Amino acid sequence: MEVKSYLQQGLENGRFIVTAEIGPPKSADGELIKKKARLLKGYVDAVNITDCQTAIVRLSSLASAVLVMSEGLEPVLQMTCRDRNRIGIQADLLGASALGIRNLLCLTGDHPKFGNHPQAKPVFDLDSIQLLNLVKGLKSGRFDNGEAIKGALPYFFVGAAENPFAEPYDFRPYRLAKKIKAGAQFIQTQIIYNVDRFRSFMERCRELGLLDQVYILAGITPPKSLAMAKYMKDNVPGLEVPDEIIKRLSSAKDKKEEGIQIAVDIIQQVREIPGVKGVHIMAIEWEEAVPEIVKRAGLDTAPSSFEVTPPFVVEKVVEKIVEKPVEVVVEKVVEKIVEKPVEVIVEKFLEKEIPWEEEMAGERIPLGTLIEVLSDLKASLKNIKSGMESLEEGLAKLEEEFLGRREHRPVVREVPKKREEITPPKEPSLREAPTVEVKPFEEERREVSEEVVSIKEETPLERPEEKKLEVKEEIKPEVKEEAKPELKEEVKVEEVSKPLIEAPKIEEVSRPVSELLIAGFKGDYRPLSERAKKIPQDLYIDKATGLIKEVIIGKGDRALKCGNASAINFHHFEGEIRNGIKIAMEILDIKPDDWPESLSKYFVEVYHDPALWAKKCVEVYGAEAICLYLAGTDPNSLDLPADHAKKVAEKVASAVDVPLIIWGSGNAEKDTEVLREVADVVGPKGALIGPVVEANHRTLSAVAMGYNIPVIASSPIDVNLAKQLNILLENMGLGLDKIIMDPSVGALGYGIEYTYSVMERIRLAALYAQDAKLQVPFICSIGKEVWKTKEVSLPSDDYMGEAEARGILMEALTGVCLALAGGDLLIMRHPKAVELCKLLFNSLSMS
Amino acid sequence: MIIAERRPLSEILKNIEAYERIMVLGCRGCVAICSAGGDREVAILAEALRLGREKKGKPVQVLEETFIRQCDPEYLEPLKDIKDKVEAVVSLACGVGVNLIADLYPDIRVYPGVDTTFYGANLSLGEWVEKCRGCGDCIIDLTAGLCPIARCAKNLLNGPCGGSQRGRCEVKAEMPCIWHEIVERLTKRGELERLLEIWTAKDWRPAGGDGLRTRFREDLLDS
Repeated sequence: MEVKSYLQQGLENGRFIVTAEIGPPKSADGELIKKKARLLKGYVDAVNITDCQTAIVRLSSLASAVLVMSEGLEPVLQMTCRDRNRIGIQADLLGASALGIRNLLCLTGDHPKFGNHPQAKPVFDLDSIQLLNLVKGLKSGRFDNGEAIKGALPYFFVGAAENPFAEPYDFRPYRLAKKIKAGAQFIQTQIIYNVDRFRSFMERCRELGLLDQVYILAGITPPKSLAMAKYMKDNVPGLEVPDEIIKRLSSAKDKKEEGIQIAVDIIQQVREIPGVKGVHIMAIEWEEAVPEIVKRAGLDTAPSSFEVTPPFVVEKVVEKIVEKPVEVVVEKVVEKIVEKPVEVIVEKFLEKEIPWEEEMAGERIPLGTLIEVLSDLKASLKNIKSGMESLEEGLAKLEEEFLGRREHRPVVREVPKKREEITPPKEPSLREAPTVEVKPFEEERREVSEEVVSIKEETPLERPEEKKLEVKEEIKPEVKEEAKPELKEEVKVEEVSKPLIEAPKIEEVSRPVSELLIAGFKGDYRPLSERAKKIPQDLYIDKATGLIKEVIIGKGDRALKCGNASAINFHHFEGEIRNGIKIAMEILDIKPDDWPESLSKYFVEVYHDPALWAKKCVEVYGAEAICLYLAGTDPNSLDLPADHAKKVAEKVASAVDVPLIIWGSGNAEKDTEVLREVADVVGPKGALIGPVVEANHRTLSAVAMGYNIPVIASSPIDVNLAKQLNILLENMGLGLDKIIMDPSVGALGYGIEYTYSVMERIRLAALYAQDAKLQVPFICSIGKEVWKTKEVSLPSDDYMGEAEARGILMEALTGVCLALAGGDLLIMRHPKAVELCKLLFNSLSMS
Repeated sequence: MIIAERRPLSEILKNIEAYERIMVLGCRGCVAICSAGGDREVAILAEALRLGREKKGKPVQVLEETFIRQCDPEYLEPLKDIKDKVEAVVSLACGVGVNLIADLYPDIRVYPGVDTTFYGANLSLGEWVEKCRGCGDCIIDLTAGLCPIARCAKNLLNGPCGGSQRGRCEVKAEMPCIWHEIVERLTKRGELERLLEIWTAKDWRPAGGDGLRTRFREDLLDS
């Protein structure tokens, strides 16, 4: 039955047409559609109803169109080819016509990939042009198979979309011609921001004689924000947003106001282009902007007296069949609406959409569920761990199998040789000489357990390396340590080690205090891709799905960025590790009384002044951050007042320009008071403060939020407790990107295994089990733990070896272990240990 | 050629969980050329399975074998008495081989060791790209030899869609928009008018919409 739609009549009468768009909700809330319709009624001639736009499941376009009609507004039913084959499409079209829908827009549809069900089988039995052709057939009484339609024929005013901004530009007018040929009577274009390109497209269409055959409605979208405009520019294929638009928005004070004005300006420009018969305003999730745009563009003078007298039966059906329950609901809704002015309703439904985002963010989980989830997690972590272990083992075997065993050994064997050659030129006074083992390496390895002590620092260094590093075959750390404590003369250490060290080494000349030399790696590095090229990648690559958040400490150029990694530390082959591992050097607010000589000697002259101390760390030892440990405020020690801490922090903050970490005494009550004071001076600099524990998390998270600074969330070494504290902090309103976890660490020989396994489990849960609450970086306070152990204070002797080297290696090894377990920010004390760690981290970070 | 990709080890391990003696059976056809199921991959998989099982404390004995093809009954004949030697076979042939073994030797428990993915070309070492979808009704005589059924994400016949940008596909930006290429090529050849005709809806029956596809050649059948 051919009943022309209001839209068709308007266009045929030469009226400048306005259409808009309603996106149905992702729920069964029909009332929402009606509200949107009421909002637009009187301002537009017809409204498009999208068909699961961007392939996201929504209330169906057909049902929504009927709901819109019930509000007296004329719908344009959008129909895509993505979800139905020609059988489904024809059935829906017959139904739409029977319900009185008179306008149809034929589209191919967005690919499911962009939607919320990317797993779905895309149909695409037809494309948009074939769909137009099919509709033409239906209107003329033929199904797509040629069979005659007996009885009432469907009638539609048929439209299509065209994108003048998609390449190949020259072909677009021809494709438009195809659409006209296939039956398109009107065209709604892609969103226009580049009016010039649109103008030349229209010009070309005119030349081809298309403008006499079709009504063109120009697509308009008011950019709601600068972010939206940028997003459209960068991420929406086939959409061109000129820089000028971005500029207008970024310089505007009121972005929304400017967005509306941009839309109005474009409408006025396109209106002048011959062949443009109207505009199609797509105010995405911003329907209330449409009336304002229409008014300002002077388009509201159109006789919008159209009253749809819907032939459809919805209201009757509701009354007759479903009777009471529905009536009640309808009444209620009507009452509500009557009570409130339109604006309020608008706000209400706008609000309605926002809350679910908030809900998501502020997730509240009942404790029982949490415990259940956590224990599940525990079990699955165990599984992951055993899986990882077996994989590791399998890999080792495979590597051996395919790469051959030989490659490992010869390189490793070089080490003892070198030591042998190095020894002779050494000065007789060197203490370590007697302990050097000149043995072929293989033998040494076999006897490793007995000789841990006698081969001194080399053993511990080699072991973690061999166990953990992929780079093991070729690079070999050479740590040469010559201990000549206290001598301030300028010893040319290079001379001693010159013969064999090829790798770049760190020169000691400018650092007279030290006689220890940290050398580099020897040999040519072969990237993993080369070493493992004979092994299928999926045998050793297991990509994570989570991302460790980035936490920024400090401000400006020297700000320290931690986290932001999608792989386990050093697993560069599995993901992005954008910031690597950072090291902060630790200073104290008071003169330390328990630091052994081997550590003290580097700082003894600056002990009296934490500012100088910090300066030395930065200027001499290149510290990228300073951790001020307020040991003096500890109630069990000197119990210095908060004021003292504040003064020290102030001095340190003004002495150095690197980011600061303020570490309280660890007494929850005292820290609350101290850190609150200290935040006054370091807060504006973006310092990291802590430790925040469960007992003081409320106050300290408030302090942190006040200054917008990150905190150290410190928990007794346990996965669940760490997570619990993060959740508590988050509930206080502190974002996860303002939290760094301190899992409570132990030094080498003092519980490092436990630390390692807990950290590893946390990190695996964060990366592989999508445990969002654990996706924050780790901070490890290593110096405190290492330098209080008995071993670092024991003097040099034949049995335990040289004291300083022992201390350095204990600290460096603790650092390396914890970095392997997931540590992102390490706090260390000994400059040589820092140097050694950095060297190892850099080498381990080669792909 | 037919492209395939080894299934995840965990899946294969799950399939063979109950067995103590299995055979990994490769194929020297397409899957060998696309490095998914030839002699080399048989060796790798067999070793990986052994390691995996050893790790679980349930070692498995894995025989390794590779046939010339698995899509012809005569090449499969050695399987006749295989069921006495092993409890299950993991076939690294494409799905055709696995099905044929299952058809001909119902007593053998055969499991797929690869996922059969598409018909593609080997562009460079380690890179395969789909070129044909076997739709049974070739149209590339009209599209300058470039197939929109296989190579357009929406298999449009009247493309390019509005998502084509800078010659790239919006669904997979690393891939060219094949319709863009078709338009360019036909423009260059002066044959663009071909595309001005409306391409009517495709008959999908030869593409498999009509049930199992078969082919007979009477002359060969008779002999």
